[in-house]
Amino acid sequence: MLAAISSATLTGAVGHPVSVEVHVSNGLPGFTIVGLPDAAVRESRDRVRAALLSSGLSWPLRRVTVNLAPSGVRKGGAGLDLAVAVGVLVATGELPARCTEGLAFCGELGLNGSLRHVPGMIALADATTPMGMVVPLCDAREASLVRGGDAHGVSSLAELARILRHQDEWPPIPPAGPSPVLPDPPDLCDVRGQSVGRHAIEVAAAGHHHLLMVGPPGSGKTMLAERLPGLLPPLTPEESLAVTRVHSAAGCALPEGVLVTRAPIRAPHHRASVVALVGGGNWSLRPGEISLASHGVLFLDEMGEFPVAALEALRQPLEEGVIRVSRSGGTVTFPAQFLMVAAMNPCPCGEGMYEGKCECSVVERARYTRRLSAPLLDRFDLVVPLSRPDSDQLLDPAPGESTAASAARVAAARSRAAARSEDPPMHPDGVRLLAERLRTGELTARGLRKVSQVARTVADLLGDEQVDGGHVADALTLRKARKTVAP
Amino acid sequence: MNDERSVLPEEAYAAALASVPRIGPAALRELLATEPPSVAWSRSSFTLDVARIWRRHQEAGIGVCWKGSPLYPDRLVDDPEAPAVLFWLGDPTVANRYPTVALVGTRSPTRYGIGVAAQFGADLAATGLSVVSGLALGIDAAAHEGATAAGAPPIAVVAGGLENPYPRRHARLWARVAEHGAVYSESPAGVPTEKWRFPVRNRLLASLSDVVVVVESRQNGGSMYTAVAALDRGIPVGAVPGSIRSSTSAGTNRLLAEGGIPICEVGDIVMALGLRGVSVAAPPRREVAEYDGPDRALFDALSAEPASLDQLVRRTGLGLAALCGGLERLASAGAARDIGGWWERT
Repeated sequence: MLAAISSATLTGAVGHPVSVEVHVSNGLPGFTIVGLPDAAVRESRDRVRAALLSSGLSWPLRRVTVNLAPSGVRKGGAGLDLAVAVGVLVATGELPARCTEGLAFCGELGLNGSLRHVPGMIALADATTPMGMVVPLCDAREASLVRGGDAHGVSSLAELARILRHQDEWPPIPPAGPSPVLPDPPDLCDVRGQSVGRHAIEVAAAGHHHLLMVGPPGSGKTMLAERLPGLLPPLTPEESLAVTRVHSAAGCALPEGVLVTRAPIRAPHHRASVVALVGGGNWSLRPGEISLASHGVLFLDEMGEFPVAALEALRQPLEEGVIRVSRSGGTVTFPAQFLMVAAMNPCPCGEGMYEGKCECSVVERARYTRRLSAPLLDRFDLVVPLSRPDSDQLLDPAPGESTAASAARVAAARSRAAARSEDPPMHPDGVRLLAERLRTGELTARGLRKVSQVARTVADLLGDEQVDGGHVADALTLRKARKTVAP
Repeated sequence: MNDERSVLPEEAYAAALASVPRIGPAALRELLATEPPSVAWSRSSFTLDVARIWRRHQEAGIGVCWKGSPLYPDRLVDDPEAPAVLFWLGDPTVANRYPTVALVGTRSPTRYGIGVAAQFGADLAATGLSVVSGLALGIDAAAHEGATAAGAPPIAVVAGGLENPYPRRHARLWARVAEHGAVYSESPAGVPTEKWRFPVRNRLLASLSDVVVVVESRQNGGSMYTAVAALDRGIPVGAVPGSIRSSTSAGTNRLLAEGGIPICEVGDIVMALGLRGVSVAAPPRREVAEYDGPDRALFDALSAEPASLDQLVRRTGLGLAALCGGLERLASAGAARDIGGWWERT
């Protein structure tokens, strides 16, 4: 009495095919699961038994052994419940073996036999290709993103048994799953004044320049950062799928229509651990905040308060665009192509810019900025000083420029940059200005490259073909706060 | 023992006496009041290795003088609390050759204080006055940064031994002051910078100066010790006025309220020196930064008070790109500078 049912399990954001073998034999009634199950999988014994019984199906009063193959891979989560239940039904002869051929089963069972949501459905669906796939109804839309018509959703074990016995049809996939409605992203028209800040996030969005904002509390750093994703173009279909895959694997709420189409923003708290930022944990290897921010914005508010180790861990993914997380249980690679936006005060009390108000000693200031190592600071193309808006600006009833207008300029600049095959040479004015700043030591060789790149983006935003002195001056201005925060 | 004495100079014994942990400044003064250091040493029962102490000072380039030796600064001779043994780096005759002005202040100054200290430091040196300061963080460093550029040699008075610069981050400034002028200390080589040595240092700093100017100080700041020590010696004390709302100016404003000389420009310091009978040439007139060029309107919008870019956008009505271009041109012309993104006239 043997059954082999296909299923899949998740490691990081990647699915692995799993074959669930169920053997029912004479002997003392009992239930054993082998093949590196984690606690949630081991507990499936009780869920499966209760689900079968409450669905009007029978539980064998015999010896049941479940093997999860390949036995070398750790299996976690409750997603294997459905496969175990179907395996038991096939092994006891309740279901004919051929009706499960060419199908993979993923889903968590409730005690009443209902099927529940499993995270990481896109990755699981990838792993079970090219078989048909049976998933909880609420995950059917997500699975169908990669599997199309091969994905079937069912709402309960009893329903599934009827369908497999050809007593019923697969139910249609619901138009949009029961998902939380995400609020609209905030709009730039709420921002008063801040011509420099607005310009900075536009340049960051247009040229994918990492941005560090330095300013006292109340200067609008957080407001600006929250509005930056709105300036980024909508995700391409491939990006969208990649983002959804990671978000789904991490168990994040997916938007209506399941696919994440807007650039995401993640704002981890400054007490976040290294693991929370870059991913990992125990052998289940969850994606971290930087992977969830991939193709979007990673916003580090109060950057000066983050643990040094967490900040330093960002350097490698910033360079490579991926993060490899290695644990004893294995190594996984997560995407990490994020736009880093950080905000910090000029000093611990935050008033450093204002004459006579700062109470911090030289030592306190030095300790505050020492957290940003020079190599990390070098990753920021834009280090922008911000100041508080005046009261008359704050009370100005006229709304500021909207996100839409700003996003249109960003889109135009991006397409201009993409269409250009090679950069025209810089105007002599710009070259002269750069040469002078190099001579005075304000710019280093690395800084020169960054300023040139930012100047190019500024020119693209203004629709100018050639980079001239004004663009270079603009780019120099956008890194003036380096002096304030350099260790 | 006799052989050694014939080889080692008097300075070696002065350094050795100062290195005995049990002898405080007063006891040392008493020991050396009547006898040269070698005699005082031979009559004592200290067991330190004089040759080794002397070698250590020589290797670090540290000079030693004691009250009565030719290199001892003239202005300390009549001081009742003058150090009996003094260590120095650089040229010890500086203090005899130039009028001296102490520029001291808090270790956590505002930009206002740093700006004033640097400007006064540079202008005083250019006028031919030696700037005396403590090489501490903040005002002290700013004053010497300004003073080492050109002009009269700078003088520093530090608390710890001269072997190891303190604070570490001022090692280069320390070396520059020693190269152009002199660094003094009461502590022999190897003595760490302990807290109690700072008031002692401040007293020495005051007595080496013709006038003491406190640039910025909190109500209970260490510079207030310097001011009190100066007043005890009849040395005039000036203070730079500051905002009544700034805690870093509370000490200086208090000094002014109690009769300190208000110092609003270098000329005020020169005047104070003149009243003391020290004659100096008039200070160079500080050119008011003038600029006449294509960015005149933008230059007019700038002032000595730093302004943020947003403020400048509103003042000038220029677009951000035009504004940045203009500011960088002004910076290139030397008419404006930025402080971490805030702009002011030079």
